[in-house]
Amino acid sequence: MSRNTIRVSELAMGLSLFEVGSTTLFLIGGEAKQDAWLAMLTGACAGLILLLLHLAIHHKDPQLDLFLLFRRYMGKYLGTVMNLLFVGYFSYEASRNLRDLSEITILTLLNNTPLWIITLISIVVVSNTVRCGFKVFFRVSVILFPVVVFGYTLISILIPATGLFHSEFLLPVMENGWKPAFQAAIPEIVSFPFGQVVLFLVFYPHANQKGHLNRVVITAYLLTAVALTFINQLIIFVMGPKLAVYSTLPLLETVQMIDLAEILERMDALFTLLLFLGLGIKLAAFFSGAVIGLERITGVGYKKWVIPVGAALFAMSFISPNYTHHIQLGRGVIVNYIAPVFQAVLPVLLFAVMLLRRKRGK
Amino acid sequence: MFMRWLKKVMKSPQKGKRNKEKVNPSAQQSSGQAIHPSLSHTRTVLQRQMGDSPDFIIRNFRDQSGSDLYAVCYIEGLIDASLLTELIGVLIQVVTSPPADMAGEHTALSFFQSILPSGNTAIIQTQNEIYPAILSGSAVILTEGIPAGVEVSITGGERRAVGEPTSQTVIRGPKEGFTEEIATNMALIRRKIRSPDLRFVTHTIGKITQTKVIVVYIEQIANAEAVKEVNKRLRAIKTDSILESGYIEEFIQDAPLSVFPTMLNTERPDTVAGSLLDGQFAVLVDGTPFALVAPVTFFNFFQTPEDYYQRYDISTFLRIVRLISFMVSLLLPSIFIALTTFQQEMIPTTLLVTLAAQREGSPFPALMEALLMELTFEVIREAGVRMPRAIGPAISIVGALVIGQAAVEAGLVSGAMVIVVSFTAISNFVIPYVDMAISVRLLRFILMFLAGTLGLFGIMAGTIPILAHLLSLQSFGADYFMPYSPFYKSNMKDLLIRVPWWAMKTRPKVKSGDKITRQTPHQYPEGANNIISRVQDTDPSDQ
Repeated sequence: MSRNTIRVSELAMGLSLFEVGSTTLFLIGGEAKQDAWLAMLTGACAGLILLLLHLAIHHKDPQLDLFLLFRRYMGKYLGTVMNLLFVGYFSYEASRNLRDLSEITILTLLNNTPLWIITLISIVVVSNTVRCGFKVFFRVSVILFPVVVFGYTLISILIPATGLFHSEFLLPVMENGWKPAFQAAIPEIVSFPFGQVVLFLVFYPHANQKGHLNRVVITAYLLTAVALTFINQLIIFVMGPKLAVYSTLPLLETVQMIDLAEILERMDALFTLLLFLGLGIKLAAFFSGAVIGLERITGVGYKKWVIPVGAALFAMSFISPNYTHHIQLGRGVIVNYIAPVFQAVLPVLLFAVMLLRRKRGK
Repeated sequence: MFMRWLKKVMKSPQKGKRNKEKVNPSAQQSSGQAIHPSLSHTRTVLQRQMGDSPDFIIRNFRDQSGSDLYAVCYIEGLIDASLLTELIGVLIQVVTSPPADMAGEHTALSFFQSILPSGNTAIIQTQNEIYPAILSGSAVILTEGIPAGVEVSITGGERRAVGEPTSQTVIRGPKEGFTEEIATNMALIRRKIRSPDLRFVTHTIGKITQTKVIVVYIEQIANAEAVKEVNKRLRAIKTDSILESGYIEEFIQDAPLSVFPTMLNTERPDTVAGSLLDGQFAVLVDGTPFALVAPVTFFNFFQTPEDYYQRYDISTFLRIVRLISFMVSLLLPSIFIALTTFQQEMIPTTLLVTLAAQREGSPFPALMEALLMELTFEVIREAGVRMPRAIGPAISIVGALVIGQAAVEAGLVSGAMVIVVSFTAISNFVIPYVDMAISVRLLRFILMFLAGTLGLFGIMAGTIPILAHLLSLQSFGADYFMPYSPFYKSNMKDLLIRVPWWAMKTRPKVKSGDKITRQTPHQYPEGANNIISRVQDTDPSDQ
């Protein structure tokens, strides 16, 4: 076995956990009210198109990762600029996850601890994982995958079992037609969470057994999308569309309501751990993406970049003065204007250049 | 970073040492001269070199005129007395009636080799070869006028008999354990695996101790690369003493600074035989009953040989129990601390009330209380191992009464904490291999600190690096967390679930070599079905 290959199955589990990531923190598609699930599915379909685009880019030149592709097809200078932009994007996404992680810790578990201590400990723990290389990262996600699946399955069973489920909140379906769902989906839901799979262009070239890659990745993506849609709709089933929109951590509040025979009450602390896992995995994935990028740009070894990037993430996570601003920035500005550039525009550009160059080469 | 620095610091003096040692052997070789033909000269040299040691004995055989013919030298405690008597009898016969053709050097030596009682003989040419020969329990026969000697292995002397292993006991299964004698240990393995493919590769390590270290494996079944690697690593060891397999383990294991063991040690021949048949190799070290086994995975440390002798269902259950105990012994005190200090809302209300009432009188925070109790237990445990046998009962009284009940009654600790600590301690003993149990004990303290300062978040921050560390470990080319991540479906049949023997079709992948098939498939025992069908198929003549 060569040192740096990952299996397709490992990649798929990593992608699945990455998609779950911080998604369950928020109510996605709240603007579509009870039709959030339609918005989610629309977003997932649009995201699938992006995923297919990414896979197509990968298959054009299966040996090269995202950074090498830009370097090769866009020339040394333009390519390096693009790569730096991507490194910046990945780092920013990672720093957002870091902030999310610290904020929910303070909201739920440690109310009086200073934010920077939590942030510092989280980034140290994640840096340690990233230092071991992406191979270990994917193996960790193989271990955590069953845990996360079990956790969310348990929630999905317990909520109906304890009588919190109100199926009437789903009605009326398409009260105002397709439009609200569609508007909610594009570009918000596409950019977060589905389009973020652009990161995996960094990891695809390291997968072995390339034959299965498309099938497995797409299956994992679709299953995760459906599961996320269900979990997301669960919030609406329990809280109703009106209340859900105003909640800071809606799924957490939903889980808080579970009370089974006075033994399984206040499961929210355990659920927070589940959120940590998702956030941590997403953070680690973006983090290693950024570190690999810097390695590719500068030629300086992978491990040497971990501490500088970690320090940068630590600093970047304090960009927003408070959580509300953080959320507003993320779900208002980034999702609409910045993320689509990196998830769709630049990959389309890259793909076009690749096609043109290939033709010219022939 | 810190680890890398530590590695650097630990490595740098080693390099210096190696360079020095390269000089030494050449200096030694110059003194490797041939055996002097004159017997009396050789005798004095030997006596001087051995420092006139009282257990070093040279017996001389002279003819009637009193001139030297032969000499036998040996060390008294290392040889078998009856074999020596036999050897001397042969020599006396040669002296009294010398054979006709004892002329040349070569004929004389080969003549000796043919008439000696032991089959394990060798011809020695140089003076320096004599010492290792006699020190490893051989007798050396020297002949007047011939610049060579014959080494006869008559190893014997006092040793411990094969007994029941004390550190790894079973209810069902063989009751014999390794001894300190490497030849006996080899025989114990041979008796279990009667195959000519069983290989023993000998290394002599330790400039002063000259310890025999033997790598055991089965040709084709073992992973050839792993075997090559271990031989390479063993050859690279340059030290002056090896007294126990622990020395070897620290020299050759993959992760020398990890708290987790990447080699397994056992004193059970059946464990070694089972591992060999799984494609692993073992390292036997002279002078210790503990053999090393590698490549191992994390889950190997939760499997006992008994799992394979008992019914498969109970074995599966016990393996799961052991893994749970591992988690308990790692996490229980820290979870208790986290819940009582930070996340009280997760404890059911009635229990919370009871706990609060108990803790009302205790002066320390939960973390201090737990540290105090854990430390006390570690002291009791260490005392239990070290103290003389006769005062054992006293310790158990002190442990159980004074530190348990009295501490609670005195209001120093809460009752619940005593339960938590003692259950943790008991769980730790469930882990079959001491190495793994020890590593958990160390990590537990770190996790307790994290839980006491940061609650559940701290536990999370502690366990994720442990997990990442476990996943980055390797043992002789096999990933430490192997059959689970990276996932190998066919290895799962002997991980947590132990499938019945007739379903164990293949050996574990990666750990073993080319011959992956263990037995013919589809051996589901049909016996019971046959009997039933015979009963049901009534004989038509009955009606």
